Amino acid sequence: MGIILSLAAVILLFSAGTLITILIEPMLSTTDEEGPASNSPKNNIYPVHPDSWLYNAAPAVALASMAAASVVIPIDKSLAGADIGIGLFYFIVIIDYMVLAVALGGWGSNVPESIESCYRIIAQLVAYVVPLGLAVIGPIMMAKSMSTQNIISSQSSLWYIVSQPLGFALYIITGLMQVYRAPFLEPFSNILNNGIISTYGGWRGKLWRISLSGILFIVAAMGAVLFLGGWSGPLLPGFVWMAIKTFAVLILMKWIGQRMKLLSTARMLELSWKILIPAGLLNVLIVGGLILMGVGGK
Amino acid sequence: MNLGEAAQIFAFGVFAFISIAGALGMTTTMSMFRSGIFLMASFIGVAGLFILLMADLLGMLQIMMYIGGMLVMILFMVLFSNDPGGDMMASMKMPFLERFFSSGLLPQKKIHRDSHSHHNSRNNNNQADKDEGMNMGMDMSMFTSLKPYAAWIGLTVTIVFVLLFLLFPDWPVKNFIPDQDSSHRIGMLLMGKYMMAFEGAGLMILLGIYGAIYLARPGKHPDSKDRNDPSSINEEPPQAAEDPIEPFYNINLKELYEKSEDEK
Repeated sequence: MGIILSLAAVILLFSAGTLITILIEPMLSTTDEEGPASNSPKNNIYPVHPDSWLYNAAPAVALASMAAASVVIPIDKSLAGADIGIGLFYFIVIIDYMVLAVALGGWGSNVPESIESCYRIIAQLVAYVVPLGLAVIGPIMMAKSMSTQNIISSQSSLWYIVSQPLGFALYIITGLMQVYRAPFLEPFSNILNNGIISTYGGWRGKLWRISLSGILFIVAAMGAVLFLGGWSGPLLPGFVWMAIKTFAVLILMKWIGQRMKLLSTARMLELSWKILIPAGLLNVLIVGGLILMGVGGK
Repeated sequence: MNLGEAAQIFAFGVFAFISIAGALGMTTTMSMFRSGIFLMASFIGVAGLFILLMADLLGMLQIMMYIGGMLVMILFMVLFSNDPGGDMMASMKMPFLERFFSSGLLPQKKIHRDSHSHHNSRNNNNQADKDEGMNMGMDMSMFTSLKPYAAWIGLTVTIVFVLLFLLFPDWPVKNFIPDQDSSHRIGMLLMGKYMMAFEGAGLMILLGIYGAIYLARPGKHPDSKDRNDPSSINEEPPQAAEDPIEPFYNINLKELYEKSEDEK
């Protein structure tokens, strides 16, 4: 009974978080380019010549990816979907299904703009996946564990944002690439007619909207877990702290993203290879040195 | 049988089905993109089997490799050959399995035929006949003669494995609980006992990347002179037909202006 209650609480809290994200995201945007947050057509449209298996599978894969990845995010000291030993690695792997979903939808709908969106999102995957891994290695090194609850409890004395500011900056940038928001919204940009979003109408479009907003919410939540100490905090209950930190990271991500020039996919790859990967390697070296000096690591 | 065991058997059935059906779809579908996706599904089913055997890290590694790797592979495949097969093949005669795994590639409504049937001009009918003829040609070329042999070999191997399993059912099962912190254990092994192999693999990959970049950049000394030869020849465009109207850019505007001035 307790398990069912906590499961219901987890599902409710994540649904509420996604809905709040959908509501507040237009308020944070200052440009016309809304990218993945733009509205899909209201009527139930269907492409003329789709690969119907892939086209219909895509929104389901996207929603399943978002839901399965949110399992390992701890909301409170005793409230989490599952606390598995390789939690963080699981999160990084499962969230890549979103790219698969966009590729399926883009190829399946068989419209030139959406196929272009499919190509560009795969190139974006190549751009972000290595620096993202290098950014999250820092907390894993200091906590000596990949379990999300262990990472939070190892931050009881010092948050990792203090000891690893470079890692946090890398996580924010690669997180923006991962959720396809402001400077990195090439696959969903206006010149591609919003990519796959314009080919899905009705309830399928709403499924896309939920999963593309939910991924922003859970990536921000994972940022709060990794660098801001998750649910830990004085006076208020744990899940309130978690919500505050999550939305702080979310607003920071959107705020930084709105202030940058939009980058094309080629520029993203250039940024990744020339700046982010060297910075990530430097971050790993710095964290190793800090651990040897006795900061953070126990 | 308690609930846990039942769930385990159910999960095994689901993952085994995904991996076998994915492999079958990969070999029989007519669309290259679908073929790659089916292969990915098959590997993800195998990853599920790893997780059932409590090798969660191995399962996750398998998924990570095959989502990113397979998507990039499909991208290159499609960019180089532009998905032959696909919807063009879906309308031809096929055996049951190929028809099933290629279903849904067909257009929902036959728009071209409907629009053409309204104008019953000779030209359109000829075009439709030509299309059908081309499909027939494709029909013949798509069926590889080796496919039945491959299917028979696969079936034989499967039967041998099933027979082995039935004849020698006493497989050793160790009553052993795997290490919960398997990532730590694997990391220690990779950096301790198997360090030379691990670092050697890293060096090989680095050399591979270096070699690929070196081959891709334009060199000063190509190994063959033919490399510099153009692969296509610039052909002179054919002469334009005589045009009775004088081209616009040949008209001298100044002269025209002066003429009109004179007339005034």
